[in-house]
Amino acid sequence: MSWHGISTVARLELRQRARASKWVVVLAIWFAVIALVSVLSYLALNDPDARSGAAMYDVVIFFVLGLGMLVVPSLTATSINGDREHGVLATLQTTLLTSADLVLGKLLAAWAISGAFLVTALPFLAWAWVEGGVSVGRILLAVVVLLLVLAVVCALGLMFSTLTARPVASAVLTYLALGALVFGTVIGFGLSAFLVNKEETVRVYGIPNDFFDQNEPTYDANGNFVPGAERVPTKADCVEHDETRNVTHTERIWWMLPLNPFVVVADAAPSEPPANPDQGMGFTPMRWISEGSRAARVGETTELRQECWVDGPAGQQPVDPNAAAAKDAAVWPFGLVFLLLAGGGATAVAERRLRTPIRRLPNGTRIA
Amino acid sequence: MLTEGGPTSGGRGIEVAGVRRAFGDVLAVDDISLTARPGEVTALIGPNGSGKTTLLLMLASLLVPDRGTVRIDGHDPVTAPAEVRARIGWMPDGFGTWDALTVREVLETIAAAYRIPAPQARERAEALLHTVHLADLADRRARVLSRGQKQRLGLARALVNDPSVLLLDEPASGLDPRSRIELRDILRSLAAEGRTVLVSSHILTELQEVADRAVIVARGRSIETQQLDGEAVTTALASWRIDSLDPLRLTEFLTSRHVPAQQVHGGMVEVEVAGEENAARLLTDLIGAGVRVTAFTPTRGALESAYLAATEDRQ
Repeated sequence: MSWHGISTVARLELRQRARASKWVVVLAIWFAVIALVSVLSYLALNDPDARSGAAMYDVVIFFVLGLGMLVVPSLTATSINGDREHGVLATLQTTLLTSADLVLGKLLAAWAISGAFLVTALPFLAWAWVEGGVSVGRILLAVVVLLLVLAVVCALGLMFSTLTARPVASAVLTYLALGALVFGTVIGFGLSAFLVNKEETVRVYGIPNDFFDQNEPTYDANGNFVPGAERVPTKADCVEHDETRNVTHTERIWWMLPLNPFVVVADAAPSEPPANPDQGMGFTPMRWISEGSRAARVGETTELRQECWVDGPAGQQPVDPNAAAAKDAAVWPFGLVFLLLAGGGATAVAERRLRTPIRRLPNGTRIA
Repeated sequence: MLTEGGPTSGGRGIEVAGVRRAFGDVLAVDDISLTARPGEVTALIGPNGSGKTTLLLMLASLLVPDRGTVRIDGHDPVTAPAEVRARIGWMPDGFGTWDALTVREVLETIAAAYRIPAPQARERAEALLHTVHLADLADRRARVLSRGQKQRLGLARALVNDPSVLLLDEPASGLDPRSRIELRDILRSLAAEGRTVLVSSHILTELQEVADRAVIVARGRSIETQQLDGEAVTTALASWRIDSLDPLRLTEFLTSRHVPAQQVHGGMVEVEVAGEENAARLLTDLIGAGVRVTAFTPTRGALESAYLAATEDRQ
């Protein structure tokens, strides 16, 4: 393996892509589609009370990720078995290029192209920044995480193109694998939530249920409500007591969520919450996903639940300790590490499958 | 013409001993042994599906033999593929190419893959394009080349790294007559420079003129190695076709002399004679006996006869 070898393969790939397909046209369409989505989301979400920058940022980032996951597999998922079909792989394998040169060169070329797609989206992220609500740091972090996620997508496609003889099969497998990451994790989380849901006795500090039994509203003989006779609970009525409740232990299944590339990107760089909560939250799917998956990681509390939801003389609302814990319970590092390991593993598998001389030849594969 | 410094001296050519390779249930190569010496053109001939291409894949360090040994200039393609790859030039059957690249870029890319620095790569590509007569197409896309032109580009590609061992799989297929003659000259001059040249082909008459020896393979086995030098040609059993104005007297004469003869269409007779000396004698005797001979021509070369004899039993 050498940089010279990798760059030779990467240059060959890029030159082929640049000429063989109409990438300029594809990039132009991509740019136009993002522009359209940005303008529409600006018009739809431009609310003088909320900061529309955050909403635009969320829409553009998710759109780039979603569209990227559709486009990027076409760069690598047919790359190696396609070369085999054209009879151009073996002519490189008999040169001094190693299998690692071939795999890393192809990966680098595909990654560079997906980077080009990302770059065309930058003007719209800049627009979101101008609108306010997101910092440059957040945008940069999101772009870096996006680049890493797209590299993993490239690597997965490359691996599948070494595993099947036909390009169609590897393209389908790549999309299935991405579908499993995007939809499978959410479906898996939703379905297994049922498994970790059970009735449990929890300790609550609040108004006991029997308070209302003992203080039923009074009615006269005609069945009319007699006001003033019932008692309104006050802070003084809050006591510690046991209650039987449905508890969902999401802290046992939260790990499925960060396997999802959307969760990784959303949780890595959600827009900052507004300084003034009364300013309105706006449409911020990335922050919702981020907060939701962090809450899932922390799960429901095992400690005493502060549920004395009555206005006492002190006028203070009790704070849920888990909400505070969830703020620091980032899930994206787990997801990013998982995705990078998967990408690294996929690259290693692809490299192994390209080693020559070949001992075992899979069915239907041709060498030259 | 083709070299910068000539191939590495002390090359030992190709040595194959008892090689076998199966793909699942299909036994592609059963037992092939051969030697191809530096300075010689060795022909690998055999019917379709006899294992020629599979053998060349093993020689080109792409496929591991199940059994047996392969040595390229003394190096094992399985344990030392890099050494082997530096020394070989492989031209596959049905050469594919990067459609979007120009002819020149294809050669320069291959040169880069051999770690040849760009300035030398440009010179090398230029020289090779002249050798295979593609210089005027150098800046065309490889896609637009005809089949024969692609074959010539494939040959140039195999020569980029100045190899000491050349493995050419059906290099003449798709070539027009002029290109074939040029290919023959190129192969002869490559061998004359001390390289080992192994050519697989079906076109026996072509090979007879270019090859020093022929290895005949059938059903995955090497049947025999045939010398193709002058002596071999003058002594080998060959077939001659005789036409005469007196067909009856001709057959009577041949029967009386116990010459095995066979009637072919148009009243002509085909005889098997060992060597040119005996053929000449037969003709003299025929004329001496008063048979009015109008044609006396060899129908097959020595190589063709040997090939047909070796592959006679195929199903």
